[in-house]
Amino acid sequence: MMEELAHHILDVARNSLEAGATRVEITVEEDPASDVMRFSVIDNGSGMPPHVLRQLTNPFFTTKTGKKVGLGLPFLQAAVERCGGNLEIKSEVGRGTTVVATFPYYCWDRPPLGDIPRTIVSLLVGNGHLDLRYRHIYNGHSYELDTREIRSRLKGISLDTPEVLIWLRQYLTESLSILSGGGGYEIARRAG
Amino acid sequence: MKSLAELDKLREKLQEEMRLREGKEDVKVVVTMGTCGIASGAREVLTAILEEIGKRGLKGITVTQTGCAGLCHCEPLVEVERPGRDKVTYGHVNEKKAREIVVSHLVNGQIIKEWTIK
Repeated sequence: MMEELAHHILDVARNSLEAGATRVEITVEEDPASDVMRFSVIDNGSGMPPHVLRQLTNPFFTTKTGKKVGLGLPFLQAAVERCGGNLEIKSEVGRGTTVVATFPYYCWDRPPLGDIPRTIVSLLVGNGHLDLRYRHIYNGHSYELDTREIRSRLKGISLDTPEVLIWLRQYLTESLSILSGGGGYEIARRAG
Repeated sequence: MKSLAELDKLREKLQEEMRLREGKEDVKVVVTMGTCGIASGAREVLTAILEEIGKRGLKGITVTQTGCAGLCHCEPLVEVERPGRDKVTYGHVNEKKAREIVVSHLVNGQIIKEWTIK
């Protein structure tokens, strides 16, 4: 079980890395007025053939050797179903995969969004070359981070140097706090 | 407030440090981040390790991640490999233990035997 949507996002994006993706686009869309909380992960990884796609939410299916279960997407499917949301997965071999999870914004069974900066930074550990685009839309206003831009500023220093990642985490935290007006429903939920 | 100009300054500092360290072999730290790891707190462990390394200004440590290692019941797992030594695997790591592993194992070279798994 995942406590935060940010944990699910990390898990889905890790699948992208395991599928050999060099570019991952993560988008979080908060639209309280329309009662929508949505996230999507789009990658350019190896993609999946139809017989794998059909089995994705079966917890006893995995493509990995030496394992009997694959719980990531079944967990996400369960989280979505608990609050009447929707999970959509599209994939094409050789092109990549798109995962879109949509939840009602106001639903107490929905996991809180959680710590997005921590998820983004964790994903980049050991993956300094990854082209990661993170987009956050809150009430129609959007914020975007692209690791290609950060890397061009670093001029050869690896993006996943601990000091750089610590800076990035604080930078993201502040940027997202400004986007949501320094507070809001999700933060209140986290405080319990 | 964090700004991109601040990132430029950080880069200059890191470039200087890198010149001093050239050619030395790094200590490797690996955190497993499969679904089992993430659900048991691997993300929190990973960021705690980064923070502790940053706070202490430790150099020559490469932190990476990997998928499920088949030891789901011992997650979160942290592996430490110092040059020329055997790999040490810690199990059931949390943020607090992760910070202690950095201090004891990475700084002082002392393995915390009680937390290791075979």
